[in-house]
Amino acid sequence: MLLSQTQAQRVAIQNQPATISSLSSVSAEFVQLRNVCKSYGENLVVMDGMSLNMRADDRLVVIGPSGSGKSSLLRVLMGLEGVQGGEITFQGKPYIRGANQGGSKRIDPKLQKQIGMVFQHYTLFPHLSVLGNLILAPIKVLGLSKADATERARRYLARLGLESKLHAYPSQLSGGQKQRVAIARALMLEPKLMLFDEVTSALDPEMVIEVQNVMLQLAEQKMAMIIVTHDMHFARDIATRVVFCASGKVVEEGAPADMFKCPKEARTREFLEKVLHLD
Amino acid sequence: MGYQFDFSFLQGSVEALLKGLRVTLELALAANVMGLVLGFVLCLLVMSRWQIVRWPAQLFIEFFRCTPALLQIVWFFYCIPMMVDYFIDPIAMGVLALGLNLTAFNAEAYRAGVQAVPREHLDACVALGLKPWQRTLFVVLPQALRSALPVLMTNGIGTLQQSALVAIVAVADLMYVAKSLATEAYRPLETYTVVALIYFALSLPVSRLVHMIERRQDAVVQR
Repeated sequence: MLLSQTQAQRVAIQNQPATISSLSSVSAEFVQLRNVCKSYGENLVVMDGMSLNMRADDRLVVIGPSGSGKSSLLRVLMGLEGVQGGEITFQGKPYIRGANQGGSKRIDPKLQKQIGMVFQHYTLFPHLSVLGNLILAPIKVLGLSKADATERARRYLARLGLESKLHAYPSQLSGGQKQRVAIARALMLEPKLMLFDEVTSALDPEMVIEVQNVMLQLAEQKMAMIIVTHDMHFARDIATRVVFCASGKVVEEGAPADMFKCPKEARTREFLEKVLHLD
Repeated sequence: MGYQFDFSFLQGSVEALLKGLRVTLELALAANVMGLVLGFVLCLLVMSRWQIVRWPAQLFIEFFRCTPALLQIVWFFYCIPMMVDYFIDPIAMGVLALGLNLTAFNAEAYRAGVQAVPREHLDACVALGLKPWQRTLFVVLPQALRSALPVLMTNGIGTLQQSALVAIVAVADLMYVAKSLATEAYRPLETYTVVALIYFALSLPVSRLVHMIERRQDAVVQR
């Protein structure tokens, strides 16, 4: 499974031109992180000068041991948490800039609205029906009329095979259905980038597939996504690029086939050996 | 037990009892309206990000939680008028004392409700682009109210019982009427039994309702 040293070196050489070209065309990047630093207090560093580029047709899968900063990456991109240093551009525009004082964030709210996120734990609002959950933000944030928002909700639910659940309450749905509705809720705002933070980790195994299928369906529609997952098989299926993080840094990135077959870095290899064994 | 119960004397006192009951209901209802509204305001103050707002609000809560209700009522009736040299209508004073007491307890109920809203829901609100006030109004408040409702209702019937304490400062509520009837007729056992039954009959339906709501909420959580 793992390649020899020479083969790995060859892959490294092959990859080099791509890296250079991506550096020279900075503004063409869809998402770009430059030297992003984030820590809690003095001791807990979660992002240690993280740099990353993503194209608009990329589906990044971020893997790595827990505490490697992969969830922080998503939370920072969503604007849920600030960073102390570095900067992030989104669609070529400045999006987030680190601020030293207490890690306060400088975020362009217009760009923030073009990012959607789905979380590990169900975050459907229990006091609202499926429809209520879907139309809340489109009405309040985008200013859509109730009729238009409802129409849009029907369309998305139909696409995800949940049209019969329009008036159901979250407590009446299975875990897999809840996550699909959560995905639909994020899509309602028609984001340009979707973030998925371990969305299948809390699900029973038989429900994982239905959620993953929805994500694969989105992939077919060329949705740009960043996915944090522990499911390496799924990562291989959906990713255009796999990013391996450890200790708050990007250790290695590459096409899924290369990454899983012949990781260059020892740390990547070590991690993959461990998790693939467990699978 | 040699005591012969005789309720017949109460027949002539129905009107007096009803009058007392009216005052009791007025006290309890007005105090509850006050407690529900001001309790929520106080909860917001206690959860404020500014310490200068938080601190006095917390002191208010602790004062009412850590002193006997009877003492609060007596204090309101005698001390405040002396301090400000102005005598308010006794019933209004009773409402004020009971209402502020309930405000303190309800603020805590609201706060527990707000804190029971999962953090992830707030994250989801940010991800959906909702502004902080929209998040409070459309997501936090409805959930907090729902989980606080049983406690608010329990506090509410608690205030109905506590309203009997104002009899001590000569507000003519149900308890006060009972006291006078009992002494007039030398029939305290009968009088207090009947009055106890009235308080019981008022509170029991609410108490059962609280049970029902709690059972329903548990069922939803388990699903």
